[in-house]
Amino acid sequence: MAGPLAPTWTPETTSEERSDLDRPWVTIVWNDPVNLMTYVTFVLQEIFGYDEATATTLMLQVHHDGKAVVSSGPRERMEHDTSRLHAYGLWASYQKDA
Amino acid sequence: MNPFLAARGGDLVARLEPAEAGILGLLLDQLEQLLTADPDDVGDDPVVERLFPDGHRSDPEMAADYRDLTEASLRSGKADDLAMVRASLPAEGGDVRLDTDQAGAWLRTSNDLRLALGTRLDISEETEPPEDVADEEDQQLAVYYWLTALQGSLVDALVASRSGRT
Repeated sequence: MAGPLAPTWTPETTSEERSDLDRPWVTIVWNDPVNLMTYVTFVLQEIFGYDEATATTLMLQVHHDGKAVVSSGPRERMEHDTSRLHAYGLWASYQKDA
Repeated sequence: MNPFLAARGGDLVARLEPAEAGILGLLLDQLEQLLTADPDDVGDDPVVERLFPDGHRSDPEMAADYRDLTEASLRSGKADDLAMVRASLPAEGGDVRLDTDQAGAWLRTSNDLRLALGTRLDISEETEPPEDVADEEDQQLAVYYWLTALQGSLVDALVASRSGRT
C-alpha cells in the first residue's frame, strides 16, 4: 500500500528487465563418469554446509537425472560457487534459472 | 596399499608400497607439467578442458569472463595442493600421515589425477577394471582403479572422522 513517502513516479521497467531481476541464477552440477558418488556428496557438504541427507539427495539427482541445481542466488555468488566446485573437480556451471 | 583410515589424534593414515609411491610421484610430475604448461600450447587438451571447465555453457562471453575471474586462482590452488601432496608423499613408500589440510590437498589432487587419467582413457560408467594387464592401456586403467581405491578410502575416512567430530 502506498504511504506518504511512496514515490509518485515509478521508473518504467520492461518486462524483460523485470524477469531478469526476478529470475535468480543457479549453479548446476553435471554428471560425469569419474567423480565418486561418495566424493560428490562429501564436497557438497563441505562447500555448502548441507546435511548428509540433502547432499545425498542432490548427488543422486546428478547421478540419475544427469544434473542438479545445487545453489541459487545472485550471479556473482553463483560464479563463486561454480569456482569452488571446480576447485574440487566437480563438473559445474552457472546460468540464469530457466 | 593399506587404504586411508582415521588414526588416533585425528590424522588419516595409509601405507603405500614403494612401487605405488613411485607411480604416484610420476603422475604428480605429469599433472604439474600440464598445470604449468603455456595455456596456448595445451588449451585444446581435453584434460586441461576438464580441469578448467567453462563456467557458463551457452554464453561464450560469460564463459570468458568467468575464466578471467577464476582461472588464475584455480590454477594456483591446484599447484599448492600438488606441492602439499608431494611434500607428504614418502618417495620410497611407507606411511602417509595427513592432517586436515593435507587430507584436503590429497583429496583434490587425487581427483584431478583420476579426471586426467579418466579423460585420457575415455572412462564411461560402463568401464570395468581390467581382468589382466596385457598392454599399456590396461596398465593405465589399473592405475586409474588403484587411484579410485586410494581416493575412495580417503573420502570414507574423512566422512568417518567428520561424523566423529559432531
